Amino acid sequence: MTVALDRRYRSVPARLFGSPAFRMVGKRLLMAIPIMLGVSVLTFWVLNLIPGNAAQQLLGAEATPEQIRALEAQMGLNEPAVSRYFDWLGGAVTGDLGRSFVSGQDVAGQLGERLTVSAELTGLALIASVALAVPVALLAARRPDGLFDRVSMFVSVSGLSVASYVLALVLVLVFAVRFAVLPAIGYVPFAEDPVENLRGMVLPATAIAVPLFCFYTRFLRGDLVDQLQGQDYIVTAQAKGIGPWQVLLRHAFRNSSFGLITVVGLNLSTLIGSTVIIESIFAIPGLGQLMLQAINTRDVLVVQACVIVFAVVTVLANLITDLLYAVLDPRIRYGSG
Amino acid sequence: MSGERADTLAPPGSGRDAGRALLEVRDLRVRFSRGGRRVHAVNGLSYRLNAGEILAIIGESGSGKSVSARTLMGLLPPSAQVSGSARFEGTELLGMPEREMRGWRGAEIAMVFQDPARSLNPTMRIGAQITEAIRAHSDMSRKQAAARAVELLKLVHLPAAERRFYEYPHQLSGGMRQRVVIAIALAGEPRLLIADEATTALDVTTQAQIMELLLELQQRLGMAIILISHDLGLAASYAKNVVVMYAGRAVEYASAEELFAHVRMPYTQALLGAIPLLEREPHALLPVIPGQPPDPAALPAGCPFRPRCAAATDACLEPPPFEEHEPGHWWACWHPAKDPAEDPARDPGEPGGAHARPVKDGVQG
Repeated sequence: MTVALDRRYRSVPARLFGSPAFRMVGKRLLMAIPIMLGVSVLTFWVLNLIPGNAAQQLLGAEATPEQIRALEAQMGLNEPAVSRYFDWLGGAVTGDLGRSFVSGQDVAGQLGERLTVSAELTGLALIASVALAVPVALLAARRPDGLFDRVSMFVSVSGLSVASYVLALVLVLVFAVRFAVLPAIGYVPFAEDPVENLRGMVLPATAIAVPLFCFYTRFLRGDLVDQLQGQDYIVTAQAKGIGPWQVLLRHAFRNSSFGLITVVGLNLSTLIGSTVIIESIFAIPGLGQLMLQAINTRDVLVVQACVIVFAVVTVLANLITDLLYAVLDPRIRYGSG
Repeated sequence: MSGERADTLAPPGSGRDAGRALLEVRDLRVRFSRGGRRVHAVNGLSYRLNAGEILAIIGESGSGKSVSARTLMGLLPPSAQVSGSARFEGTELLGMPEREMRGWRGAEIAMVFQDPARSLNPTMRIGAQITEAIRAHSDMSRKQAAARAVELLKLVHLPAAERRFYEYPHQLSGGMRQRVVIAIALAGEPRLLIADEATTALDVTTQAQIMELLLELQQRLGMAIILISHDLGLAASYAKNVVVMYAGRAVEYASAEELFAHVRMPYTQALLGAIPLLEREPHALLPVIPGQPPDPAALPAGCPFRPRCAAATDACLEPPPFEEHEPGHWWACWHPAKDPAEDPARDPGEPGGAHARPVKDGVQG
């Protein structure tokens, strides 16, 4: 009777599809539609309010009004904003995001390229920061106010008070200029040369990861200490006679991980903002750089597409956060009561 | 300073009919330093517990009963300063290195806590939480430990034990959770179980069931139990001996029958008076002990109960010694209550004393 017990543990996919979490995904994705619409209307409207348009930017200050009007007509910029928006929307729902006014390239294709680059950069930064923050926080929480805790606290407070673009410049100065061990700028596609690609990613990813690492370390350390000192189930675990690491990992960390996941999920959307600056500093052809250039040239369709991608990433990040809760927290997975 | 006195003083429970001592606590003192303030949680507690017996430690919240129990398991925060002695079968528990202490926790001494909703890890399956305790003190395989865990769940009468093994704490009722906590405590086959207000958070019916379970386990497994409670009635029904604590020290010790028949310490008497009784008139005010328990950071001089005691005199400014005044009956009081048999003014039918009784009850008249 007790031998067959093990089979009742269900696999993670089985849990996901059979659970309320799966219905939640559908609901969230449907909710994303009005969000996308709202974001696109807002972007279009704001860009329309800014004086100057792509035709003026392309022709420069010397152009005559006739030349500008002619180019505007050619680009379709003389039509009213509302009809231009619906033109764009009609294309967008079929996957056609139009062509860039400036480069004439297909926006969707350009976006795909840039997105891979940005995703690699932020992905590396995120993985590195969490992967380092977890062991450091665990070691610090093992002996609160111990030497390791104090040192890690000092480091993380210092790291938090440095802006990532300042850090980026310092990194360039030290590792690219002074010691010349890593490239300061430039990007080599992964498929072309994986080693060069990663070498080029080290400095920008570090610049993004350090403040994140510091924040995650402080947050997780604080949460772990709260669990260890304030929770009865920790005393139960200690009373079993198990070792301090087992108490920390199996009991405190498991419960603290919910808080960490929330923070990482919320961070993900602000992370996109920091890539705009970092990509410009390191001349990395990512989404942030593309959007910055497009805003300068009033390349409305490209800006529009970038903003939509950012919105999608934010919605997905929140969705993944909630799904992770469902995987980790049985109270949510099975519903309460 | 207090050390030499403790050595000459045999702790309560070591009387003529004392059996084999499982636990001997002598002059236990626990102090915390909190923000510059010294908090005296336990101030010289002594008692003795024989193997297989049930001892109740009774007191209000803040009387130091839980702290004294956690001290035995080395589960106090690092800021605690502990002195005195607590010998478990001759082995000194106080000051034992953490690593060594871990071998005793769960294996020799286990604990059941007050709130079963909080004392289980919400993210772990019931089974995993029990097998963890089993495997901490044995080299059983996962499979063997799982089978043993189901056995333990059956031992604590958890319905549908095999199914519960895979469930999470939030899927269980309060009483069922407390059964799980007890199963965890039994995992290492301890010889001493400390039940720290183990039934306080439960409803009355469940309380009785859990107490019956503890009693059954004590008889079946021959465990000793320290029953920590604020409920004197509960102690009387289940414990062999009772220690009454006030402001971190023992104020009265006797067997449960002796204590109820011949209560001496005015504080115990007042506690007894505060138990609701069916015989009492409907809507009669329940007697309460006037005032507040003393602040453990600023204990009054002399007897700590003096500010709340109706019998207090100037003599009480001197701390009364905790001594064996009658065979097997210890108390710390300059003005112990008289035996009901010798005191015709008191109603022998009711255990409560004059000090705790409001005038409305009219016993004095």
